[in-house]
Amino acid sequence: MSASQEAPRDVTGAWLHSFEEDTETEAVYRPSGHAFRPARRPRRGLEFRPDGTFVERRAGPDDRRVGVEGHWERRGPDRVAVSFPAGGRPPFEITVLSRTADRLTIAR
Amino acid sequence: MTETSHFPAPTRDLCGTMHVHRRLLNNSMTYRAQRARIENRALQYKMGRRGAARDEVITIPVVVHVVHHAKVPEQNIDDDQIRSQIDVLNRDFRAANPDVSQVPEVWRPLVADARVEFRLAEHDPLGGATDGIVRVETDQDGFDTDDAVKAAATGGADPWPSDQYLNLWVCQLGGGLLGYAQFPGGPPQTDGVVILYTAFGTTGAAAAPYDGGRTATHEIGHWLDLLHIWGDDDGACASDDRVPDTPNQADSNAGTPSFPHVTCDNGPNGDMFMNYMDYVDDRAMFMFTQGQSERMDACLEGARASFVVAHHTGAPAAQPAAAQPAPAKAAAGAGGNGHAEGPVERLLHDTERLTKEVLDEIHDALGLVTGRTGT
Repeated sequence: MSASQEAPRDVTGAWLHSFEEDTETEAVYRPSGHAFRPARRPRRGLEFRPDGTFVERRAGPDDRRVGVEGHWERRGPDRVAVSFPAGGRPPFEITVLSRTADRLTIAR
Repeated sequence: MTETSHFPAPTRDLCGTMHVHRRLLNNSMTYRAQRARIENRALQYKMGRRGAARDEVITIPVVVHVVHHAKVPEQNIDDDQIRSQIDVLNRDFRAANPDVSQVPEVWRPLVADARVEFRLAEHDPLGGATDGIVRVETDQDGFDTDDAVKAAATGGADPWPSDQYLNLWVCQLGGGLLGYAQFPGGPPQTDGVVILYTAFGTTGAAAAPYDGGRTATHEIGHWLDLLHIWGDDDGACASDDRVPDTPNQADSNAGTPSFPHVTCDNGPNGDMFMNYMDYVDDRAMFMFTQGQSERMDACLEGARASFVVAHHTGAPAAQPAAAQPAPAKAAAGAGGNGHAEGPVERLLHDTERLTKEVLDEIHDALGLVTGRTGT
């Protein structure tokens, strides 16, 4: 069943990169409350809020997670566009491959 | 670098909005100016315009705040685990770690003894005897990097005065995070280092591959103003760690890489991934360089000079102010005798000079606002 025949996937939530589960084609994210294995590199975070705002969290120079706020919007059943009108990061699009309650996979 | 500035310590009952307000303030010019001054000083050391005033080892008093949840008793790590961490620090910052022998031959001349040691505090902020360990029970399942663990009001433990002690908080961290730090020049009420309880020390709850105590070595490196060795530029090769003897490398390394790992045209030797300021496993990191030691010197004789002054005057950090008149007297005496400046006097004069610079900057800024200059 192709993604285009399905209802748009709900990506809302706060997700952290579970990079240990990545494959060559998929990046796996888990809810931020997931029991992640410790890792020295802080995990990238993606938060899609229902009101259309977005926060990307990445490792800062002091190992804190540094968040940059932006917006997200759908560009089709499995495409999501993210932009940062206030600057700080370049815009990007992601292709959502699947989503369950405890797992979000996006194309690498 | 999102945190900042040296505002006065907050009262204990800051509401959430006030915390947000403070964080917004913290992104202000004040912090950026403070960081610029610290960076400028580091540059002077790097360019050889200044050199370390001290040649002896200084000892930094440490307080360890163990913030634990009753439902997870192993979070309340034992004293042996804490002492095992202090032992690792005292080896790593003195280049006395046995695995330093694994540094590739080409970089062995760069291995640095940073001349810094650590000791659990023997006096609390009121001058009473202490073992330097504070245990606090929390109702928080875990902490993020928002500094909640650093205040009793948010389920953590309040710091001891951060100009006299290195505060280490040990707790559960969410998201698989090992730890985080605060650079010099940030707010004193959150100054220190936070470490995951299973990545602290080498015994007890410490778990492989982060059971070598190197998370604290890395984070205290940040606390002493060291930057990540790859320059935090996401693989762009555009910026480095502002230390001349570490090769520019693209991005962080992980696990236990094989030598050499070439990036950013840094062949034939490649990345110095065995440096404490990379992201490799504990057993794969085992050196600071001379350049990094110099940058730590700049920090210890600048933003963190209070530790050097306390060391030189023999005043144990953590004595009540009223009980230690010695520093001012000693400094005044030496200066008044017309002798060449010792390290303490030089640091005090530096402080005076920096204060004057800050006042000049404020004056200039006022001039810009009012349209008047040179008045």
